Amino acid sequence: MAKGYNDPAMETRFQDRYYHSADNPEFTKEVERISRTIAHMCFQCGTCTGSCPSAPRSSYRIRKFVRRAVMGLEREALTDPDLWLCTTCYSCTDRCPRGIAPTDIIMAMRNLAFKWDIIPRNFLKTVQLIYTTGHGVPNNDVNRAARVKLGLEAEPETTHKYPEYIPGIQKIIDHYKMKENADRILAEGEH
Amino acid sequence: MHEYAFFLGCIAPNRYPGCEAAAIKTSRKLGIELLPLKGASCCPAPGAFGAVDLNVWYAMAARNIVLAEQMNKDITLICNGCYKSIYEVNERLKENDDLRDGVNEVLAEIDMEFKGSIDVYHLAELYYDPKICGVDKIRDSVTRPLTGTKIAVHYGCHLLKPIKERRFTDSENPMWIEELVDALGAESVQYRNKMQCCGAGGGVRGFDLAHSLDITNEKLINVTEVGADAITEVCPFCQLQYDRGQIEIKEKFGIEWALPVLHYNELLGLAQGMTPQELALDLHGIDCKPFLDKIR
Repeated sequence: MAKGYNDPAMETRFQDRYYHSADNPEFTKEVERISRTIAHMCFQCGTCTGSCPSAPRSSYRIRKFVRRAVMGLEREALTDPDLWLCTTCYSCTDRCPRGIAPTDIIMAMRNLAFKWDIIPRNFLKTVQLIYTTGHGVPNNDVNRAARVKLGLEAEPETTHKYPEYIPGIQKIIDHYKMKENADRILAEGEH
Repeated sequence: MHEYAFFLGCIAPNRYPGCEAAAIKTSRKLGIELLPLKGASCCPAPGAFGAVDLNVWYAMAARNIVLAEQMNKDITLICNGCYKSIYEVNERLKENDDLRDGVNEVLAEIDMEFKGSIDVYHLAELYYDPKICGVDKIRDSVTRPLTGTKIAVHYGCHLLKPIKERRFTDSENPMWIEELVDALGAESVQYRNKMQCCGAGGGVRGFDLAHSLDITNEKLINVTEVGADAITEVCPFCQLQYDRGQIEIKEKFGIEWALPVLHYNELLGLAQGMTPQELALDLHGIDCKPFLDKIR
């Protein structure tokens, strides 16, 4: 006989016993889809946190985020500001005995947080810079002068020298409405 | 002559142009010609940009790769962040039909298609590869040996990690860049927690500068403890973090460091006889003079 109460009323009452009403089992699947890693294989050994350069200087615990991924604790994960303290050094990923990429779990959660409009401003400003110039760190006058002294051209052989390539980049970014959302979130934060 | 499309990225051409100039000149002496990759953009930044939407990260990196496919040249580059974006996206798109189809759907809008016809290399890995260059050739190109200097190597993260997605075999204690440094006549030194991150990546430098600098400060403690005269790296973003970072550490924590930070190509340039002016070392936040005095 299958495990159960053998009582339809009780079965209905407890069918969600593994998930708190605020949890979202779809969250685990979404994180695994975006990160392309097997989060559910985690057995919580903590090798990741032990390898993490951010852990000793903050309350950021990568192991906790992986647990949140597996438990479907979407709100708890996406609203925690520690989500943005991962330097993406991938030490946890290289050392994970289960072959999981915890770093990519963080990256997936950050992508999902962006969909909730949760994202630090510096990330959005990078989006704006890349959209307008093609570069996350664009050229400036001091650097242009230095380049010329070196015998290089003032503008590098990138979108800086060939701005005709920028519309193509903007098309890619617009396809995903990334700039539009970045502008909106930044504007909403200003007042 | 081995020819490669030279992917510049952002920080090398726009903050440390000496790295770009040095890469072109030093490589030419080693039989490697770096060709301009016209119209390339930011790789885009794997952490600061990929964190927002990985779909756009894949598509934009693919656009840069396609520019080189159109030249029919493999890509080489001098930044670990660029390496993660360009190398990893290239490999992932070659291996995964679902990812490649998604990216090509978007690239079709700008009349481009990712074909998977080229490979991506970090310039340092080409220098180490005996089929392309090799340590002996580096040693033979030196006209002003960096004798008497102790140099700490910072590998950076995205060159070697995640190791499963790299050609390299060791991300815990690699020694091959030390071999490249020793070939210049300098003495490479080992220090505690060598493989720790510089602290800049993942958008953390922009999000929480103090947190990011605290990681850098720990590295600086470990490097100076063994008496290093300079740090070398193969990533302009790590360079920025160590170089400008020392000034920021002084402002934020009141701790004073004065450790010169040089990209491997700048070191190689010096060893091949390039002048500090030809390398724009004056753009560095930390004065390189103490190091230069040692090799005079």
